[in-house]
Amino acid sequence: MKKTHIKNFLVAMTATAALGTASTGYAEDPIRIGGLYILSGSAATYGEFAQKGIDLAVDEINDSGGILGRQIEMIYEDTQGKASVAIQAARKLVYSEGADALVGLDSSGVAQGMVPTMPELQKPLIITHAATPDVTGKLCNPFTYRISVNVAQNMKAAAMVAAETDATNWTTIGPDYAFGHQSWEFFGNYLKEINPDVNLMSETNFPRFGAEDFTPFIDRVMDSDAEGVLISVWGGDLVNFIRQANNRGFFEQDLELMFTVGAATEVLTALGDEMPEGVHLSTRYWYEAYDNDINDRFVKSYIDAYGNPPSYNAEGAYAAIYAYKQAMEAAGNTDGPAVAKALSGMSMEAPNGTVTFRKGDNQAMVSPNWGISGPMHAEHGIRTLTSLQIFDGEKVARTIDETGCKL
Amino acid sequence: MKNKVLMAILAVVIAGLIAVPWIASYFYVFIFTEILVLGLFAASFNLIFGYTGMLSFGHAAFFGIGSYATALVLIHLQWSFLACLLVSMGASALLALVIGFLSVRLNEVYFAMLTLAFGMMVFAIAYQWRSLTNGSDGLAGFTLGSFGLGLDLTLGNPLVYYHVVLGIVVIASIVLYLICRSSFGMILKAIRQNPERVSFAGLNVRTYRLVAFIIAGTFAGLAGGLMAPFLRVASPELLHWSMSAEPILMAILGGTGYFLGPFIGSAAFVLLETWITTYTESWMLVLGIILAMMVIFFRKGLLGTAIDWWMEVKK
Repeated sequence: MKKTHIKNFLVAMTATAALGTASTGYAEDPIRIGGLYILSGSAATYGEFAQKGIDLAVDEINDSGGILGRQIEMIYEDTQGKASVAIQAARKLVYSEGADALVGLDSSGVAQGMVPTMPELQKPLIITHAATPDVTGKLCNPFTYRISVNVAQNMKAAAMVAAETDATNWTTIGPDYAFGHQSWEFFGNYLKEINPDVNLMSETNFPRFGAEDFTPFIDRVMDSDAEGVLISVWGGDLVNFIRQANNRGFFEQDLELMFTVGAATEVLTALGDEMPEGVHLSTRYWYEAYDNDINDRFVKSYIDAYGNPPSYNAEGAYAAIYAYKQAMEAAGNTDGPAVAKALSGMSMEAPNGTVTFRKGDNQAMVSPNWGISGPMHAEHGIRTLTSLQIFDGEKVARTIDETGCKL
Repeated sequence: MKNKVLMAILAVVIAGLIAVPWIASYFYVFIFTEILVLGLFAASFNLIFGYTGMLSFGHAAFFGIGSYATALVLIHLQWSFLACLLVSMGASALLALVIGFLSVRLNEVYFAMLTLAFGMMVFAIAYQWRSLTNGSDGLAGFTLGSFGLGLDLTLGNPLVYYHVVLGIVVIASIVLYLICRSSFGMILKAIRQNPERVSFAGLNVRTYRLVAFIIAGTFAGLAGGLMAPFLRVASPELLHWSMSAEPILMAILGGTGYFLGPFIGSAAFVLLETWITTYTESWMLVLGIILAMMVIFFRKGLLGTAIDWWMEVKK
């Protein structure tokens, strides 16, 4: 037992030492990109969809000659949705697997913990999903970028949608961590700005992330004076929530319901026609919202490969790989600080139009989508989005002063 | 003679640990930092488990409180690192006094259940007190300041931090070892073997158990204080009952009958986790199989079995 341990240890040591030298070495070696996603538990579908988007981008790029003549190799680690696990996994990817760059992060809580450690790693990170404003705000740093919509952008759009409704009493049901609390905070502030007459109820509902039973929270809202509800529950939790809300008759009540990540195709696919019609659904990218060649090609090849339409998480992850391609080609190498610098202020064409990483906070100016759930899609087996609104990413973003980011 | 050989082996191991940054790849600096911190955590646990015979299921409460204390001091007061560790030890000692006072009066499964309940209570408080602990997200984004004692050390550098952890863990282990070897430690062993007899000898068993519980909690707090700056986050997982299970597994894996057993267990645990998760996500399954084998065939743990074998061969 003891002997094999030492042997394993030596093998692992030589292997990692070899990898360490390889990563700084020769042009024919692959470029390694580390992916950090939730790959287990109730939100694991998000990690899987991100992997699908990434695989598509990697195959396309590798088939057309790679980046700087080198192939891309992906290495994934499971963050389990925990910051401490993600930080260790990032260290493992960079120092042990020789990753040149990182993509990922589904959870805002994980992002808040991990982002401050990025300057130590000296490798760029493009966040493709986690939405907490802080990582492109008070916690920002020159190595951290985000290609997806953040809570501030999405909640400003949400407030604009909410202000058009008749509801004045608003409450929330959201997961009990950064994302749920910040969604409500930003939504409330923006809505008050537009319409000072609204009443933000003090009774809010924050079920634990991964809670199986949402019925107490559903009942509580049904018993209250709420006329509008901001629901930021997401992932597998949202699927459970909708099913339980259907059983309780929640959707038969005259409520304005706003699901901040309700049009995630992961959720729509899982629910089919259990997702009610006539509720406000948002997503960071709706696959039918953008009329351009890149989007047409992306949606087509995604459906061909996997049989269902791409989610925002797949799109963000797909676009992030192309962002690295452009940045590494601009830098002329894969050196961490150089690639991070090339990303700053960079504009690229992505499925959701022209995406620019804003200088000053490294947040991509991408557009939140809001719509109302409509009839089932004939081919895709999911709800369609009607009255679709595509908000201008720059207009709904905070100013750089407001972000608190000093780069 | 044998003692001399053991001392020589120990010296070589410590020299090897000092040299880790130069002989292993950079990544193993992180792995060995984790091994040392969790090893101290497990060794503190073994004082009450292996020596005194109390199976606590709530030891993570002290580890977690230590982490939160250091994180809070770094965020709000920016004291030196050594001061943070003292606060961590003080906070966990105080918590151990309260939990221990209420728990040590009970035995065996009742003691285990009570410590589990208190552990979960501490977890629930950290989870729900959002304004202080930042809820389920935990405390992050703190920066490391000076070390203290006027030493100029860049703690943010993982290599420096590793050597700092090594130094502190070695000193703490020596102190813990001296406690175990003292007459106090002997009485703890006697309590494990026969509490009635110790009681008939005129000693207050409950007081001894309480003091052992507080000492173990204090050292767990120190380990927690070392963990938060390493992880850069103090999160409720560090307080969760599953974290309380880790020192139990490590102690059994390494061997509860030997002072260094928990350290060996920690090394085996962390290294196996690192290697196995490279191939599969279900590393707990593999760990389960290994633990079952250990308990059935090698009840003295890795270290105990190795020493037995060595004693047998070199007779």
